[in-house]
Amino acid sequence: MDSDTAIGGPHDHFPSTQASLLEATAAGLSSEAMERVIALYWKPVYRFIRLKFRKNNEDAKDLTQGFFAAALQRDFFARFDPAKASFRTYLRMAVERFAANEYAAANRQKRGGDIQFEPVGDQGAATESPEEAFEREWQHQLFSLALDDLRAHCDDCGKQMQFCLFEAYDLADAERLSYAELAVRHGIPETSVTNYLAWARRMLREFVTERLRGTTSGARELRVEMRRLWM
Amino acid sequence: MDVSDSVLDHLRHVGALPDLTGTRYELESEIGRGGMGVVYAARDRQLDRRVALKVLDFALAGEAQLIAHLEHPAIVPIYESGTLADGRPFYAMKLVSGARLDRYLAEQPTLAECLRVIRRVGEALAFAHSHGIIHRDLKPQNVMVGPFGEVYVMDWGVDAVAGTPAFRAPDDRLDQRSDIFALGALLQFLLYAPAPPALRAIVAKAMSAVPAARYPDVPALLADIERFELGLAIEAWSEPLWHKLRRFCSRNAVLLWLVVAYTLVKFLLFFLRNF
Amino acid sequence: MNKVVVGLVLGVILGAIDGATAWFYPEARSMMTNIMIGSSVKGMVVGLLSGWFARKVDSTPWGVVVGSALGLLFAFLVAAMDAAKGRPHYLEIMLPGFVVGAIIGFLTQKMGTSGPATKGAQ
Repeated sequence: MDSDTAIGGPHDHFPSTQASLLEATAAGLSSEAMERVIALYWKPVYRFIRLKFRKNNEDAKDLTQGFFAAALQRDFFARFDPAKASFRTYLRMAVERFAANEYAAANRQKRGGDIQFEPVGDQGAATESPEEAFEREWQHQLFSLALDDLRAHCDDCGKQMQFCLFEAYDLADAERLSYAELAVRHGIPETSVTNYLAWARRMLREFVTERLRGTTSGARELRVEMRRLWM
Repeated sequence: MDVSDSVLDHLRHVGALPDLTGTRYELESEIGRGGMGVVYAARDRQLDRRVALKVLDFALAGEAQLIAHLEHPAIVPIYESGTLADGRPFYAMKLVSGARLDRYLAEQPTLAECLRVIRRVGEALAFAHSHGIIHRDLKPQNVMVGPFGEVYVMDWGVDAVAGTPAFRAPDDRLDQRSDIFALGALLQFLLYAPAPPALRAIVAKAMSAVPAARYPDVPALLADIERFELGLAIEAWSEPLWHKLRRFCSRNAVLLWLVVAYTLVKFLLFFLRNF
Repeated sequence: MNKVVVGLVLGVILGAIDGATAWFYPEARSMMTNIMIGSSVKGMVVGLLSGWFARKVDSTPWGVVVGSALGLLFAFLVAAMDAAKGRPHYLEIMLPGFVVGAIIGFLTQKMGTSGPATKGAQ
C-alpha cells in the first residue's frame, strides 16, 4: 500500500467514537444523543409532515420544531423498545402521534378555520408515500452528513486531492470521466486514481457507519440498517 | 452536502463493494447474496485463478474458522480468510460452478439422481457431525450441484436467523437432529408427487416434531435410503403385506419367472401327452 | 459356502424335485426311485459345473446361458439312454431339464462365494 493510503495503520481505521442510543442513554448522555438524532432526522421529519399532513412550509417547520422540543423535554428514548421496531420507525410513529395530538388540540381551540390546508404544490407528483419519502430523506441526510464529515476529515489530513477526485467521480451528476481521463486531468498516475477513490469510499463507509451507530439502538439494529442501506 | 437521487444510489452501490486493496484479489462480479453477506467472483492475482469471495457484513464467529480444517469432497475448500481494508471480514474459497438445488430441480432429475444428491449431502453432514460441527441452516439454496454431478454444501454454522422456516426444526435446539430434520426436508423438496410411500415414510421420520423420534444420526437415514434403493425393507416404515410381496417379487423377478416357466413347461407337456 | 458347493446342493435338490414330478405320469410311477436318483445325479453334475463356472465368471446372463446349456445337454444324455432302452421321452426330459439348468445357473451366480480371483468381478 502506498503512503497516501497508509495513514492510520493497515486498515486506516479511526476508532469509533459514537455510542449507540442505548449506550448513551445508559451513560446519562441523552441530550447528546438527541442532538445527533436531530441532526439526522430534522429534514426527514419535516418532509414527512409536509407530505403526510399536507402542511405548508411554515406550519411544517413549526410542527417539526415542536416535535423535537417535546421529545427533548420528555424522556424520548425511555419508551423505545428495540425489539419491537427500528428507531427510525419508532420516531416516525412518534411524529404521527405528535401531529395528531396537535391537530386535535388545535381543533379544540378552533376559532373558525385556523388550520391551513394548502396543497403541497411544489412536491411534484406524489409518486411515493410519506413513509417512503421519510426513509428516502433520511438516506439523503445520512449521506449528506457523512460527506460533510469526509470533507472535514480530508481537510484535516491534507488529503484534498483525494476528496477532489472523489467529488469529480463519485459525486458527479452527469456523465463520469474514466479513470484514465481523471488521471490526466489531475496529473497523477491512473493507479493513484484507483487508490484514492478506494480510500475515499472506504472512509465514506466509515463515516456513514458512525452516523448510523449514533442513531440506532445497538449492534443488532445497526447491522440490519446497514444491510438495508447498501445496495 | 446534498446530493441528487442518482448520486445517492451510486454511493450506496459503491459503498457496498468490497475494498480489495491490500489483498491479492481483483473483484469481478457479484454472484449472490446470503444471510450474512455477499459472495463475489474474484481473481487471485498470485495464483491466476478465479475464486469466490464471501464478504461478511460484520464479524461474527463465522464459517471459515469452523470448516477450514475440514477436508471433504462436498465441503467447499477455504483458501484464505482475512479482513478487508474497510474492516469487513472475508474469506476466499473455491469458486463452484453449477446450479443451486432449487434450480437443479428445473432440470428434472430422476429419482436416482435426487437420492444421489441427498446421499452426498448426508455424507458431508455425517463427516461434519463426526467433527462436532453442525450446519444449522441446511436448505436448497445452500446446496450446489456442479456440471459433473459434484455436490457442495455451503454456508456452514450460520445461525438461521430470518432463515427458511420450512427447513428449520420446530424445536429450538440446534444439534445433529435439527440437521437431520433439514436433510429430511431437503429430500421432501426433491421428491415429486406421487412419491413412493417408503420415501415418504423416511421423510416423515426425519422430520418428526419430536427430536427423539427422528433418526439418531445421519448414517442411519442414509442407510434407510440405501435399503429403499435396494428394494429392502426400511426402518422407517412397517409396510403392509401386499407391499412386502410386491417388493419380494420385484427383487426376485428373474427367479420367479424361471419357476413359472418350469411349471408351464411341465403343465404343457402333461396336457400334450394326455390330450 | 463357495459356489461349487452351492451348485452341488442346489443341483441335487432341484434335480430331485424335477424327478419327483414324474409321479404325474402313471407309467413312470413304478420306476420312481431310479428316476429320482438319476435326476438328482444329473442336477448335481449340472450344479457342480455351473458353480465352477460362476466362480470364474461373474455374469448373471452368462450363468443362466451356461446352466441351461448344461441342463439341456445332460437331459439329452439321459433321454438318449432312455430311448435306447425303448422309452423315448426326449421332450419331457429335455425341456424341464433346460429350465432347471437355467435356474441352477442363475442361483449359482447370485449365491455363494467365489474364489479370490474372479474375472469380471469388478
